[in-house]
Amino acid sequence: MASSKEALVHIEHFKMEFAGVTVIEDLSFDVHRGETFGFLGSNGSGKTTTLRALLGIYKPNGGTLHIDGRAFTPQDGSRLGYLPEERGLYKKESVLTVMTYFGELKGLSKKVAADWSMNYLERVGLGDKGKTRVDKLSGGQQQKVQLGVTIMNDPELLILDEPTKGFDPVNRRLLMDIIEERKRAGSTVLMVTHQMEEVERLCDRIILLKDGRAEAYGTVPEVQNQFGGTMIKTHYSGEIPTSPHYEVTTRDRNYAELTLTDTADESDILRGLVNAGVLVRSFTPIKLSLDEIFVQVYGEQSQAVGA
Amino acid sequence: MKQHNLRTVVSFEVRRTLGKKRFWFMTLMVPIAIGIVLALVVLGNIVADNNFDNQSESEFSFTYTDASSFIDPSVATALGGMVTTEPAKAIAAVRAGKQDAHFVYPADPTTTPTEVYGVDKGLFENGKYSDIATQVLIRSAQDQIGDPALARLAQGNVPISATTFTEGKEAAGLMGIIPPLIFLVIFFLMFFLLANQMLTSTMEEKENRVTEMILTTLNPTALITGKIISLFIVGFAQALVFLLPVLVGYVFFRSTLSLPNIDLSSFTFDPAQLIVGALLAVGGFALFTSTTVAIGAVTPTAKDAGNIFSGLAVLMFIPLYAAPLIISDPQGPVAQLFTYFPYSAPVTAMLRNALGSLTGWEAAIVVTELFLLSALVLRIAVRLFQTGSIQYNNRVSLKTIFARSKALKATQPETPSARLMVAQVIPGSAPRPFK
Repeated sequence: MASSKEALVHIEHFKMEFAGVTVIEDLSFDVHRGETFGFLGSNGSGKTTTLRALLGIYKPNGGTLHIDGRAFTPQDGSRLGYLPEERGLYKKESVLTVMTYFGELKGLSKKVAADWSMNYLERVGLGDKGKTRVDKLSGGQQQKVQLGVTIMNDPELLILDEPTKGFDPVNRRLLMDIIEERKRAGSTVLMVTHQMEEVERLCDRIILLKDGRAEAYGTVPEVQNQFGGTMIKTHYSGEIPTSPHYEVTTRDRNYAELTLTDTADESDILRGLVNAGVLVRSFTPIKLSLDEIFVQVYGEQSQAVGA
Repeated sequence: MKQHNLRTVVSFEVRRTLGKKRFWFMTLMVPIAIGIVLALVVLGNIVADNNFDNQSESEFSFTYTDASSFIDPSVATALGGMVTTEPAKAIAAVRAGKQDAHFVYPADPTTTPTEVYGVDKGLFENGKYSDIATQVLIRSAQDQIGDPALARLAQGNVPISATTFTEGKEAAGLMGIIPPLIFLVIFFLMFFLLANQMLTSTMEEKENRVTEMILTTLNPTALITGKIISLFIVGFAQALVFLLPVLVGYVFFRSTLSLPNIDLSSFTFDPAQLIVGALLAVGGFALFTSTTVAIGAVTPTAKDAGNIFSGLAVLMFIPLYAAPLIISDPQGPVAQLFTYFPYSAPVTAMLRNALGSLTGWEAAIVVTELFLLSALVLRIAVRLFQTGSIQYNNRVSLKTIFARSKALKATQPETPSARLMVAQVIPGSAPRPFK
C-alpha cells in the first residue's frame, strides 16, 4: 500500500465562477490516501461545486484538480464511488436492474454485479425487493439502494456529498458502519457533511470552506486549536500570575477560566502555575467542539441563509 | 471499456423500452386500430356482398317511361320491367305500396337524371332500384351497339400498357417510384412514433437526478450515442410490429379486402436509388434524433421540449406542401433550398430521389451533409447534456452554454487527458498556507 501521506486528491488554486460571480476564489487542499476527510462549510459555500469540478462535471476557471495525479475522467469511474447531493435512480426500473446496470458501467460483469447486489440487498434488509420498481420503495429504502450503487465496485475513492441527508437514524448508523468498513478496507473517503458528530467520529482531517476559501484545514484537534484555542478550567489556591500565554477570563473564589492566547502547551501552563506557587487542585483543558467552531465561523452566514 | 459501456447502455435502453407495457400499448395501438378497421371493412364487404347477392336474387317488378327511346323493351322486360304511359299513376302506385318501383328515363339520360321511385326497403336494399335502372340503360345501349367488344370499348373498359423513355432508356414509371418512396414512409413512421421517446430519453436522467452518477461513470458521448442506437433498434422493432398486420392482411385477406394483387415483378428496383433512399432515411433519422435528444437535454420538462419539437416537425412537413413545386421544377430555387437546408433535406431529397430528379452529385452532397451534421449535432447534444442535465430545474439557454465555452477556451486550454475538465497545473506553485 502506498504511503498514507500520499495525496490521492490534490486541489490547488482552484477557482470557479458562475456568470461572473466567484464561488471559489482560491482553494487548495490534499486528501491523503487511506484517510477520511471532512469537507465542511455552510450552505452555498462551494463544497458541491468543488466536488463536481473535481469529478469533471463542472469546468473550473482555474487551478489543478487531480485524482491520483491526473484529472478525473469517466473512464476512472470504476475506481470511484460517488454519492451526489442530488440523488436519484431510474425510478421506473427494478432495483436489481438499476444496480446491475450501474455495476456493469463500473466495469463489473453482469453476473458479478447481480450477485453483489443481491447480497447487499439481503444485508440491508431489502432481500425481497430486487424485482420491485425503485419508485415503489420508501425514501429510506431508495437511499440504501443508492448507497449500494455507490460502493458496489469496491471503490478506491469514496466521495460522499452529504451522505446522511434524508437518512433516518437507523440508516444513518448503517451508512456510518459502511463508511468505516470502507475505511478499514483501505478506501479514501472524502465527505461533505453538516453532521459534526460524524466528523468527529470518522474524519482524520477536515477543511472548513468559507467564501470560496479555506477557513481552516488540518486534523480535528489542529482545527480546534486554530479556533479560540483552548480554554482551561482550574480549581486552585493562591494567586494566578499574569502570563503572555493566557488571560484569566473568569474568576470566582478559587475557580478560574483561562483562555489561551497563543499555541502554548497546556502542560507548560500548568508547570508555570505550579512554579508560581499556585496549589492546583484541578486543571481541565476544554476545547471548542466542532459544532461551536462551525457556529463561530458560519454563524452570520447560516443566519443569513436561514433568513 | 468504451465499447463495453456503449453495449451496456444500448442493452439497458433497449431492454427497458421493450419491457415496458406502455411501449407495447402505444406500439400495438395503431396496428390494433388498423386491424379493427380491416375487420370492419371485411365485415362490411361480406354484408355488402350478401346484400348484393340478395338484390340480384330478389326480383322486383317496375314500370317505366322512356322519353329517350334508348330503352330496349326486351331488356326491360327481362329485368322485370313494363312500360307505361301514365307515370303519375305509376308513382302513386309505388307510393301506395302496390308497385315496387317506377323509373322515369328522360330524353337525354347522359345529362338529365333518371328519376327512380321505389318502396323503401332500407338503406342498403334501396340501392337495387338505381342498380336495375342503370342496368336497363347499359344493356339497352350494348344491344344497340351489337358487338360486345365495341360495347366494352364504349364503356372505356380497356387496358393500356404505357412505355416511356428517358435518355434513351425505358423509364420505370410509377412502379419505379414506389420502392424508393418506401424509405420516406419509414422515415416519417419511425420519427413520429419515436418522437416522444427521443425527447424524454435524456430528460429521464435529469428528472431522475441520475445525471451526476452517470457523468462520473460513463462518457456522455457513449451515453448519448447508446441512446440514439437504441432508438434505431426500437424504431426497427416498432416498424416490424406495424408491418406485420399489413402483411397478414395482404397475404390472408387480400381478396376479402379487395386489395390489388401486387406483382413484385412489375416494380422496378433501381439499386442506386434504393441505396440513396436508405442513406437519406438513415442520415435524416440520425439528424432528427440527435437534434431531438439535444432539445431534451436542455429543457426541464417534456412539455417545454414539445414546443421546440413542434417547430422541427413543421420543417419536415413543409417539403410535402411544396411537393408540386419540387416535382415540377426540381432545379428551381425553392426545390434547391429545401434540398440543401438540413432539416428539410431528408424529405425533399427522398421525394426527388424517388421521382428520379435527384442527381448523383446532389445525392452525395445531401447524404454527406446529413451525416456530418448528425455528428456535429451529436457533439452539441453531448455538450448540452453535460451542461443542461445538471441544471435540474432550469432550462439552459444556448447562449449560456456557448458563452461559457468561449470564456473557458480563452482562459483555459483543454488537455487531452482531461477533455471534460479544463484544469491546468501551475508550475512551481506550492499549496497555499492555510490559516
